[in-house]
Amino acid sequence: MSTAAPPQKAPPPRERSGARLSNGAFALLLTAPGLALFAAIIFYPLLSALFTGFFRQDLRLPGREFVGLDNFAYWLDGDFLAILEQTLIFTVGATLVPFVIGFGLALALNTGLKGSGFLRGLFLFPWVIPGVVVSFLWMWIFNANYGVLNGVLMEAGIIDESVAWLGRPGTAMLAVIVTKTWASFPWMMVMLLAGLQTVPKELHEAASMDGAGSIRRFFAVTWPQVRGVASIVLLLEFIWNFQHFDTIYVLTGGGPAGTTETFATAVYQTAFKGFDIGRATALGGLWMLLLLLLVAVYLRITERKGDA
Amino acid sequence: MTSTTPTPVSAVGRPQASATRAGRGTRRRVRKDLLRSRIAAWSAVVVIGAFGLLPVYWLLATALSTPESTFQFPPKLIPTDLTLGNFTALAENDQLIKYMINSLVVASITAVLSVVVATYMGYSFSKFRYRGRRSLMHLVLASQMFPQALLLVTLYTVFSSFGMLNTYSALVLSFTTFTMPLCVWMLKGIFDTIPDALLEAASIDGASRWRTLHSIVAPLAAPGMIAAGLFAFVRGWNDFIFALTLADKEKQTLPPGLVSTYIGEFQTAWPQLMAASLVVSVPVIVAFMFLQRYLVGGMTAGSVKS
Repeated sequence: MSTAAPPQKAPPPRERSGARLSNGAFALLLTAPGLALFAAIIFYPLLSALFTGFFRQDLRLPGREFVGLDNFAYWLDGDFLAILEQTLIFTVGATLVPFVIGFGLALALNTGLKGSGFLRGLFLFPWVIPGVVVSFLWMWIFNANYGVLNGVLMEAGIIDESVAWLGRPGTAMLAVIVTKTWASFPWMMVMLLAGLQTVPKELHEAASMDGAGSIRRFFAVTWPQVRGVASIVLLLEFIWNFQHFDTIYVLTGGGPAGTTETFATAVYQTAFKGFDIGRATALGGLWMLLLLLLVAVYLRITERKGDA
Repeated sequence: MTSTTPTPVSAVGRPQASATRAGRGTRRRVRKDLLRSRIAAWSAVVVIGAFGLLPVYWLLATALSTPESTFQFPPKLIPTDLTLGNFTALAENDQLIKYMINSLVVASITAVLSVVVATYMGYSFSKFRYRGRRSLMHLVLASQMFPQALLLVTLYTVFSSFGMLNTYSALVLSFTTFTMPLCVWMLKGIFDTIPDALLEAASIDGASRWRTLHSIVAPLAAPGMIAAGLFAFVRGWNDFIFALTLADKEKQTLPPGLVSTYIGEFQTAWPQLMAASLVVSVPVIVAFMFLQRYLVGGMTAGSVKS
């Protein structure tokens, strides 16, 4: 081993003067400020959160008391399954519905309509405006007393009296999903359109000449080309929705009667309305375990895509 | 109809077949196909357009309506008594102006901090090969997927114990948790496009590694750095949950500020809130107009906006 030195890949001739650090050390030095920040504001707080779950700690009081698994038991014996179910309903709904809409729009714009560039820009609007504004707007649309949705539906004779969309257990989750769908379908549209544009037009024409119908062409030509983008988009949106907070918090705050309570709102409310840091972080720990599984899948998939 | 067209196999086998009668049939069918897909495309655009754009119309219409006409049911779909009063009321509200200044300050500092730190990190990831590099990159990527609500709970206790609640620093640092990962990945992607040969040439000419980075690479990457900064600014400007929790009325930013200003327990001032919402959106829309070019690339690399 030591005798024949392997032919070295000639390192780029670095500076002759003052080359005290090796390249590796220099590279690590460059990452140091970033790593310090990450450690201080992400990794330390998250680790301490996992640790805090084993204590009884009140936000208003100093000190804490070790209680073992009590906080976890509180959730697992209580609302954990309901919260998990609601989180999943929101996540799946707010991922699939905008995906279908965004994909449909991307396919439509990709047929080379006149002004599709302009339309693409116009459709970005819901995605570009701040999330809180999205929530305000839909809160107003869904308003029980003066909301435009009730107004239109009543004029059209579809409903007889105003519906408190956000205040009824049966419709609140639906309303939240619609709002989130509105905010995220443009993003999916842009990503999928970018994917679609890599499909050579000739492929479609050839398939069409060969007598493939539009459905057949979709599955034989289009889908294989966008499958990569589609899977990344779906997975990312799923991960984001799994921890989404703003829309739900502003629209319903987890209500009515806890029917839109997800991990995000439950952790937040437990900590800042109930002041119970121990229970909040315990639920957060369970939540994070589930999220880590998702993130692991994501990293697996991006890894396979072979980023440098 | 299908009987007159050649089967797929024969068409592939004999491309010349288009000269025959069957070929004309094929062309007619393809044209019909095209027409049908045009119709389908336009219907999709119209239906989705209604869903996507009618709420925007309602945002504008409400912002331009008088408070009285807003509390009418059923609502007037075409407002008749247009007014700019809701916007002028904003300009006269000192508290809102304070929120806006806070937003500007915090989002700007966040953007600068994120870009500076991410430039070094992204450069390191892009141009050097060393042990642990991939793991670090994945850690950065994964870090933006940790649950914010949980992070917030402990950030609150940490900032509280350092007496940092209600400070700009707390907001900047907490915003950095979601802007920095994004900037690192965007900037890595941008440094990847700068050829290694350029760095080698610089080092042959005697430039040190620092000098190469600062005087040669950074100016080349400047447009990308500005884009990353704008993304970070927008994310900071848009944040709701961190600003809501970590700051009070003195240091709060616009998004939570709007809640405390307009959303009352019993009655909400909808026209004013919609007008304020539009004002909050303007810087973001302007930023995105500049960012169009970077949108898709930046999103695939850094996976922005949750």
